[in-house]
Amino acid sequence: MGETFDIDIDATDPKSPEGKDVCEQCDTLLSVRGIRKSFGSNEVLKGINLDLAPGEVISLIGGNGSGKSTLMKIIMGIYSADEGEISIDRQKVDISNPKAALAHSIYMVPQEPMLFPNMTVRENITIGFEAPKAELNKMLEDTMKEIGWELDLDRKAMTLSIAEQGMVEILRGLMRHSEILILDEPTSALTFDEVQSLFKVVQELKQKNIGIIYITHRLAEVFEISTSIGILRDGVMAMRGKVEDFTREDLVRGLLPPDAAEIKKEIAESANIDYDAEPIFELAEFTGYGFADVNLNIYPGEIVGLAGIVGAGRSEMATTIYGMDKVLGGKVFVDGKDITGKSTKDVIAAGLSYVPEDRFNDGLFRIRDVAENTTSSLLANSSLGKLLLNRKEEDRVSQNYVDNFRTKVTGLDQEVGGLSGGNQQKIVIGRAFSVAPKVVILDEPTRGIDAAARGDVYAVLQELRKQGVSILLISSDMEEIIELADRAFTMYQGRINHEFKKEEITQDNLMSAAFGL
Amino acid sequence: MMKTLKGFLSKGQTSWNMILIGLLVLEFVIFGAANGKFLRPALLFTSINDNLPVFMISLFVTLVMVTGGIDIQVASLVGLTSITIGVGWQDFGLPIWGAVGVAFVLVVACGALSGFLIAYCRVQAMVVTLGGSFLYSGLALLISTLSKTESYQGIGGFPEDFKFVSNFQLFGVIPFQLLIYILMLVVAFILLHKTKYGRRITLVGVNQSAAEFSGINSRAVIMSTYMLSAVSAVIAGVVLTAYLGTAKSDLGADLTMDIITAVVLGGTLSTGGKGSIVGTALASFVIAFLRFGLPLCFKVSPQYLDIPVGVLLVVVIVARSAASGTNIGTFLKSLLSSSSKAKA
Amino acid sequence: MDLVKRLLKARGLSSLAFLIALFIIVGAMNPAFLTPATIAACFNTSVVYTLVAVGVAFTLFIGEIDVSVGSNLGLVAVVVGSMLRDGTPLPVACLVGILIGVAIGLVNAWGVAVMKAPSLIFTLGTNGVLRGIVYVYTNGQWVENLPKEFKDFSAVTGIGDFTVYYCAVIALVILIHFALTQTRRGRWFAAVGDNANGATLVGIPALQTKILAYVICGVMAAIGGIIFCSRIGFVTPMSGNGYEMKAIAACVLGGVSLLGGVGSVLGAAVGSVIMASISYLLVFMGFSSNYDNAITGVILIVIVVVDALLQHRSIVQNRHARLNARVSPKATSEVLAEQIADFGEAAMSPLGKKGGVR
Repeated sequence: MGETFDIDIDATDPKSPEGKDVCEQCDTLLSVRGIRKSFGSNEVLKGINLDLAPGEVISLIGGNGSGKSTLMKIIMGIYSADEGEISIDRQKVDISNPKAALAHSIYMVPQEPMLFPNMTVRENITIGFEAPKAELNKMLEDTMKEIGWELDLDRKAMTLSIAEQGMVEILRGLMRHSEILILDEPTSALTFDEVQSLFKVVQELKQKNIGIIYITHRLAEVFEISTSIGILRDGVMAMRGKVEDFTREDLVRGLLPPDAAEIKKEIAESANIDYDAEPIFELAEFTGYGFADVNLNIYPGEIVGLAGIVGAGRSEMATTIYGMDKVLGGKVFVDGKDITGKSTKDVIAAGLSYVPEDRFNDGLFRIRDVAENTTSSLLANSSLGKLLLNRKEEDRVSQNYVDNFRTKVTGLDQEVGGLSGGNQQKIVIGRAFSVAPKVVILDEPTRGIDAAARGDVYAVLQELRKQGVSILLISSDMEEIIELADRAFTMYQGRINHEFKKEEITQDNLMSAAFGL
Repeated sequence: MMKTLKGFLSKGQTSWNMILIGLLVLEFVIFGAANGKFLRPALLFTSINDNLPVFMISLFVTLVMVTGGIDIQVASLVGLTSITIGVGWQDFGLPIWGAVGVAFVLVVACGALSGFLIAYCRVQAMVVTLGGSFLYSGLALLISTLSKTESYQGIGGFPEDFKFVSNFQLFGVIPFQLLIYILMLVVAFILLHKTKYGRRITLVGVNQSAAEFSGINSRAVIMSTYMLSAVSAVIAGVVLTAYLGTAKSDLGADLTMDIITAVVLGGTLSTGGKGSIVGTALASFVIAFLRFGLPLCFKVSPQYLDIPVGVLLVVVIVARSAASGTNIGTFLKSLLSSSSKAKA
Repeated sequence: MDLVKRLLKARGLSSLAFLIALFIIVGAMNPAFLTPATIAACFNTSVVYTLVAVGVAFTLFIGEIDVSVGSNLGLVAVVVGSMLRDGTPLPVACLVGILIGVAIGLVNAWGVAVMKAPSLIFTLGTNGVLRGIVYVYTNGQWVENLPKEFKDFSAVTGIGDFTVYYCAVIALVILIHFALTQTRRGRWFAAVGDNANGATLVGIPALQTKILAYVICGVMAAIGGIIFCSRIGFVTPMSGNGYEMKAIAACVLGGVSLLGGVGSVLGAAVGSVIMASISYLLVFMGFSSNYDNAITGVILIVIVVVDALLQHRSIVQNRHARLNARVSPKATSEVLAEQIADFGEAAMSPLGKKGGVR
């Protein structure tokens, strides 16, 4: 449980140094004391203390399941704590629902935008306010002008991209003139420009003495905008301090479990790829909605990275290859066979499978068990029987992936909805490999999963490529591509704009190409 | 005690089936003690015969509901089957089994049409089958006007080899139509729980998009379940027509509530993704014996029977939701706060 | 494309257009139809449907459904009817009727909003229970011999050939429409149906909103039951049976989505007129009333399917248009070459890059 960490403090004791205010002389806007929360037998928060001062930006980081989201939901009144208290401006308060939180000037921009799809952007932003319409509209236009975002206010929210939805959420928070603003991974779906304008906004809010809790997985952002840092691990505030007192290494160390070091070694090995062989996968002038004229090939046993910013057209390309959208031109070949415009079932049969970007909506059968989730792609061929289902074979295949991927499950009959994000992802990856594919496209395979599970996923991918499977790795995480890829492409505005050999793959090269520079 | 009950309710299908079996046993004990006639095989078989259409159809509506859909048109298809057989045989001079064949093709086409609209045009199942229930009962009525017999009278006088369906009794006690039901039960059980098709149905019901990404043709799967439920309506329509000896356009029109009750009481999630054929079968028996036992043993008027069935449905659905959530206290609290706000 | 968009925006309006077209077609086939009296009759007959449908629309707005309204209406009708028959003053009987509606609404709200039972199933159950109670209450008998003045009042006309009942109900519907669209809290129903979690997060009391929707639904059905008594003049134990389906159909015809968050009560009212006057229209078109159900089914299915296809098409087209807008028109190297040719070195400087397509 992370007891080996060097600054090891019993966080349940409110008098411990960790519990103390970072800035004792300042006022505290928000003070959280001894918060505990369990879901069934699973204790998620084990006595959390946290103080937020005006003008402070706390970067709250932690792996999945570390309890950050739960803590924020308690502050926002979505969950109620089992124990502990919350004070605002040194007054003890009872926040039993979001309305109470809003009344105390707390606003949370949730990770998943919570918009009303059938309402206009304007309605989405102004609903829930008490002020008259005209006043609200003026306020909204002023706010938009101030931060310089452009958004058609009369569009229905359902037509917005994820990034635009995120912008609407942030606008909601700004409109409320909240004193305490919680931003839960706001940048995960934003483009580079949007991230920069968000940071500008955050800086301005800081000047206005607003306290911000900023949850993120991107460590670079932490140093860019925060004044202090809190690291949560296993429901305990593992580290807390001013941003100047931390180095990047501290953060990584704070996040990783003690045994993470070994995993890295395995990854360092690189493979020998025969570039004279016939490519196993080929895109020729491939064009569809959101991308155009893509030429790309992958050789047997190769991991090819595809970098780019969100919205560059990478996922659209992958899903179009996979038979989910109309092909507008060009060809796709797997092992020399033309699979252009084939149905998903035929594409899988031809030897290509895909791990979707959106694990929850496109990957998981949450109320079904591990075995059913692992073998769902096998229903298309006869390996589980022609008509009747071969349960033994199903269990064998599933157990195989559970063992090889070190997936933590209580049994093959456990529902996957209750697993952690990393284990869920391993199951979805297992499914993609269960059909014995020649090529697998992985779309953001480690987004939203913690460092340890990430290491496991990397190890699994290395293992599979050794067995001759080729991989197209779509990722917005440049480090991931540097770590894994034998070759990399970048996509910019729907087109491949660069190809990099192994030795050319660097953060700088990828970044500048991804942003079209 | 409450806790174990709660655990039981949320645990899984096996324990749920045990509760249903317990309810059945309870019915036998109470009704049997109140009136010995209840336990006579001949009477029991009569009560089963009376309810066979519900038994049969609910099995296949279970498949529909596992995909996350609903079928409230299927009852109107029973009448459509019946009247098509009657008119086809009497007024168009078709051989009786030929008329059955025509009814089969027509009714399955109706199921396919609704299924197509739901799966491929992405219209909600509730709306399409609501429209379907109007359309197909209206169609049945129009077909009945083709006959020289007044529609309220019903078409009777069917040949012996058709009535065989309801008259024949194996070993002199077991009705032939019950055997048909058992066959359907076995087929439905294997389909849902033992075949790859059943797995596809389940997965589509949990997450249609993830099913598509797994290479499952989710739309064909969804459409097929409505066709299967139409097939069950044809069989039920044939059995009911033979059993009653008359073909009418509104046969079975009032079965919808019992069918949905049986499926939900049987443990199928109305949101899809989980369901049990055995559960549906047990639940339909629980309802049937309730409807049979109460009038027989306690002189409850048959017109009042919607109350116990409705109560059963409401209690079960609330208990299942409660096993995973809130209680009456929250309700009262929320009422108080809303009324105080109204004052303010 | 633009037309489709606008049609989708004002789905309630398009059903009004459909209704008018229907009247014109019937009028063209049989000019006898085109008298103020007959057309007003179409509206007047819809009065009970309108009440029930507007009530159901509230439950649809919040993303739920209520199929117990038919029995709710039946129960209120038999209770109010029998009270009036036995000499209870009208206001007392009406109050009792409305209280029954409130009670039924609260029970449904408890099951659906608090216990979180699936609404279709739960209200299907309460529908059965209520219908049973109707039988118990009436002992299977009809309620007849209602006071003459109460029955006669249903024929009294207010504005033109429209009955007082219809005028009052339409005024009520317009008032509700105004309250729903123009007040801050009016949008809460649609917001809860659109995204219940999101509604909670912006401080909308989702639970109370849901409870209120069911209570309104119960009350509307209760008022429907009272007017039903007055219009029909007698009540059978089966009164109101099937009204739930017709009310839902009316809502769907009027553009209320069963998925929640979309539609207007005006649309539901227009849908009710279509539902109520179909048999009437068929008579003028020379069809027998046997065509009633079949035609209703066809209209319902055609409208929802066309609606769904149009909506899906516009979503897909929007998506494709948005995706295509992201793709740079030519390969990057060509663009660069052109830029260099056009602007020289300036284009290569960071300034030249500004305002690129996102």
